Formats: sequence, structure tokens, C-alpha cells
Amino acid sequence: MSEIAVRTDDVWKIYPQEPFPVEAVRGLTLTIESGDFVAMAGPSGSGKTTVLNLLGGLTDATRGRIWIGDRELTGMSGKERARLRLERIGFVFQAYNLLPVLTALENAEFTLLLRGVPAAERHAKVLELFHEIGLEGLADRHPGKLSGGQQQRVAVARAVVGDPALVLADEPTANLDSGTSASLLDTMERLNREHGTTFVFSTHDPRVMERARRLITLVDGRIEADDRRAPARA
Amino acid sequence: MGSGGLWWRVAWRNLWRNSHRTWVTASGLAFGFFAAVVMVGLTDGMTAELVENGTRLMLGQVQVHASDYLPERNMHRTIGAYDGVDVDALLERIENHPEVEHAAPRLFGGGLLSSGEQTKAGLLLGLDPDRESRVTTLLSTVIAGRLPESGAAEVLIGEEMARQLAVDVGDELVVVAPAADGSMGNDLYTVAGLFRTGTPGVDANYAVLQLSDLQSLMAMDPGRIHEVVATVSNSRETPRIAGSLAGSLREHPVSLDVKSWTELRPELSEAVALMDSMNFVIVLIIFAMAIFGVANTMLIGSFERRREFAVVQALGTTSGAVSLTVICEGIILGILSLTVGALVTWPVMVWWHNTPPDLSSWFEGFEWSGAQWRPILRVEYSLDAPLISAVALLFTTVFAALYPAWKATRVPPADALADR
Repeated sequence: MSEIAVRTDDVWKIYPQEPFPVEAVRGLTLTIESGDFVAMAGPSGSGKTTVLNLLGGLTDATRGRIWIGDRELTGMSGKERARLRLERIGFVFQAYNLLPVLTALENAEFTLLLRGVPAAERHAKVLELFHEIGLEGLADRHPGKLSGGQQQRVAVARAVVGDPALVLADEPTANLDSGTSASLLDTMERLNREHGTTFVFSTHDPRVMERARRLITLVDGRIEADDRRAPARA
Repeated sequence: MGSGGLWWRVAWRNLWRNSHRTWVTASGLAFGFFAAVVMVGLTDGMTAELVENGTRLMLGQVQVHASDYLPERNMHRTIGAYDGVDVDALLERIENHPEVEHAAPRLFGGGLLSSGEQTKAGLLLGLDPDRESRVTTLLSTVIAGRLPESGAAEVLIGEEMARQLAVDVGDELVVVAPAADGSMGNDLYTVAGLFRTGTPGVDANYAVLQLSDLQSLMAMDPGRIHEVVATVSNSRETPRIAGSLAGSLREHPVSLDVKSWTELRPELSEAVALMDSMNFVIVLIIFAMAIFGVANTMLIGSFERRREFAVVQALGTTSGAVSLTVICEGIILGILSLTVGALVTWPVMVWWHNTPPDLSSWFEGFEWSGAQWRPILRVEYSLDAPLISAVALLFTTVFAALYPAWKATRVPPADALADR
């Protein structure tokens, strides 16, 4: 039996807006196994990004419980959540969100630095990863000097360099052209396959859905469909 | 490099993302430092002027008397009483103290000075001109004639006294004074010179004679003096030095009392304390104003980076570390401002100290706490004012960074990432 990467039990997220509260996530009960490659699809406003934020501990559930691996996220202090994210969760954002004052290498090694990994080990690990995902020679460039695809690869490198159990990717291909998207998906698929990293995407992109081994469709904050299948392309 | 080094690096680079803003803020703080040091320097200069004029003209920095002389100033209570003292030995002993520079003997008397129809009560000061000119500036204020010579029956009087008695240099004065033996001493003196100190009470009332001439007039032996006045090597330390001198004179055969100018002129001492507290208020006001300006700038910078704060939180950074990067920015900004401020302030202070603007053509000086203040805007500088201002500046930038740093920790990551 596979290990559990993520588990949720009747999770609700309600934004207290006037005149009526918004129920962004309604009773989400979900289990994601380690090493899975999961896409969450659904129309805008269906709650995809909110689910990723809940799983990453970036926002609090109104009610319900969430576990990352064997650790319960709900009820953790801010400091405990930060530690959990640092050790177990990687993020990839639609808008890349690299820190503009740091170089590609410095961005990618950010989480290792927070963990106190020695410089030589950090640099070796990042440069090896850069080689693996096609970023050779770009280590000293600042984000402003990189293309969108290159920036997103750096963001992926930043997310996976610490060998997290879970990578949460919020529409990672939304700002990329089709060739760059395909290349990035290849990279993430390979990392998933070779490192066993669990990926959970939110996406509108059919190419992402096509590659996912599990496709969860959200509508109005509820799971409408949960389709486990073999990926179209290995 | 640990994560601590990361925040310093991020803070440094963040400052230069908007270099114009950083330079404007640093310039404002540097000007605050400049203003604080110059303002404190000006009040210190005014204080130094008051103390200098209040002590150097006549008072001296330290005075030694018979222990029962003050406060009545009874003419019979000379040092060593009726037997007097070996004046040269006493002066030598006082000057041997390592922090005493010079000492001079004095004898005081009161009497009537007359010329023709005019008569005026006056204070008679007998002194040794050579020694006196090393401890006070009184004898350097002669505006006409010269100093009285020993045994020549000459007197030096204030310009105002000369006007009231209608005498000038070369004229004769009759001086009548009570003598120690109960008689009335009287003699005829020639006005050798006139002085103008700028202090009305001195110019109108004092008549200066050679020590031996006044001793003779008052029927006192050469060993009888009322006072030894002395200067010390560090005027700011006068009370301590006076205490030390008193200790060293404890074994002297006659009972002596040593007082510093702060005891002799408490009103002047209080004026100096008032000026010192004004310095504190000046620094406080300048940097309190700066805090709001810097905090506003840093708050704008922090607001612009809400998304970045959210990203680093998503990557596993704690709230404390997020706030640390903003505080690091404040500290770097403070050090930068201090460097600029010091580079500008130091040469200006040296120049200003050496070539102070003289405003005497615009307005006259004034007397405060019995000391004359000339309208010369000299700044005084010591390490204290720049050090206090530097600490205040660094405190300002750190304090100004606290609120933006706290705000940075309150950024809800999910909302900031969604630009809400």
C-alpha cells in the first residue's frame, strides 16, 4: 500500500464577505498518495487555487482537517507551518514569483539556505538540477534577464531542490507558450518519476490534464469527478 | 553563509532597487545627523563661551581660601589668619598638583575712591600681575595705559569707574580703606590704566592694585592673602579636580577650603546643565521627526513587496525572518546615512569651529547667569555629540523599521499571492 502524501477530511473554506459569505471550498475529502501526479481542473472560481493554498498551509480552513504525510496541518502554529513547508512542500506559482534581487542560483537555493545547508553542497545540488532541467549557464542571471520559461524552470528547481514530499503547482504553464509548457511538463514528469516527488497542479491547460495520472475536477468548491487513469504519455 | 547572511544580502539589494528613494531617505537622515551635531555644537559653543567668560575673566576655575572665609568674606580671615602663610610655598604646592596648571594670589578690600568732587565706593583687588594673567583674562582687558607697577602707588580701574570719578590715565585718586589693625588706610594713587571687561559690575566697581600695595594700604603682612585662584587642565572636570586638590591640601598646616567654579557660581553651573538638557531635546526632536519620514518610506517599500513577503513565507520562511529582512534594511540605511552624514558634518564642524561667524556688527552680546556672551557663533565639538547623534540615528532607522517589519509579517500569503 502506498504512503499517503495528502489527506483532507471535510474541509471547508468560507470567506466572510458581505452580503453573503463565499463558500470557496465545500466539504473537500481527498487522499493523494505519495508519488502521484495529480491535476485539479475546473472553471475559474471553482476553488482550485484555494485548495492548493489550504494544502500548503497558506490559508486556514474554516473547518475540517488536513494532513501532510503523517502530520496534521490544521491547528499548527505559524512557525510550525513554516517549518513544514520548508521541509516537505514546494510551491510553483503561475507568475513564477522569483525574488528579483536574487540570481537564478540564489533563488533556487533559497530553501536549502533556510535549512542551513552548507554553500558548497547547495551550489552543487542546484547546478546539477540546473543541468538536468536545461538551465546551464544561467545561474548568475537575475530573473529580469530570463525568459518566462526559464524563470518557471528556476521556480521548479526552487520547489524541488530540497526533495519535498509534495509540490503544489498553481497553473504553472498558464503564462508559457506550448513548446515551453511541454518542456516544463517533461521536466516535472521526470522529477516525479525519478525522485518520487508528489505533484499536485491546478490547471486549465489540457496538456497538463492529459499528462496527469489523476484528474480531479472541481466545480463550485466540490469534487465533481475524480478520474484515476494511466497517463496518456509516459 | 547562513540564512542570517541571506537577509542582509536581500536587504542590501532591496535598498538599491529604488536607488533614488534610498538616496533621498539617506540624505534626509544624514541631514538630521548634521543638524543634530551642529545644533549641539552651537549650544556647546555657547556654553563654552559662557563658562569661559564666567570663569576666565575673574573667577578662575578653582579657588582656595581659609576655611572660614566664605561666605562672609571677612577681611581678617586671610589664609593662615593673622600669621599669614608662606605664599610662594602654597602656590608651589597647589601648582604641583598634576591637574592644576597655574595659581595666583589675591587680597580683597573695600574702600572709597575719590577724585576732586567725585567719590565712589569700590572693591579693591590686590594681585600679582604676572601670575594673575596666567589664570584670568582680567588684565588683558586693559584699553588704556598699562598695568600698575609694584611699589609705584598705581591703580588700574574700570572704564565705568573712571567715567563716574571723571578721571583718566595719569590722574590721581585718593583711596581710603579699613585696615586690619583697625585704622583707616589711605593713600594717593595714580591711575596707570583703564580696563573694559564688558561686565558692567566689574567695570564700575573694581580697582586693581599690586598685591603688596594693597597689603600695605590694609596694614597686612606680605604673607596675608584671601584667595588663591587656579586653572586646571580640563575645565569639564573641575569639580573632580577641586576635590582631588582639596585632598592633597588636607595635610597643609593651615585649614584650607577648595571650591570649583560650579560651587562658586551655581547659577552658571545650572545654566550649563540647562544647555545640556536642551541638547538632548534638540536631538530628540530632530530624530523623532525623522522616524516618521523613514517609517513612511519603508512602509511604502514594504507594501510594494507584499507579494515577495508572501512568496518567502510560502517557501518556509518564518514571520520573524520576514521582519528581519525589513529591520536589516533599516540598519543598513542607518549605517549608510551615518556614513554620509559623518563625511559631510566633520569638515563643516572643523571649519565652523576655526572660523566662527562674528555677528557683533549686527547685535551686541548679552549677559546670562553673570557671564558675558559675545555674538560669535562658534561650534564646539567633542566625541559625545556625534556619538549620541549616531546612536540616535541608528535607533531611528531601526525604530522606523519596526512597524513596516511588523506589517510585513501580517501579510496573508494566499491573499498577497492573489494580489488581494
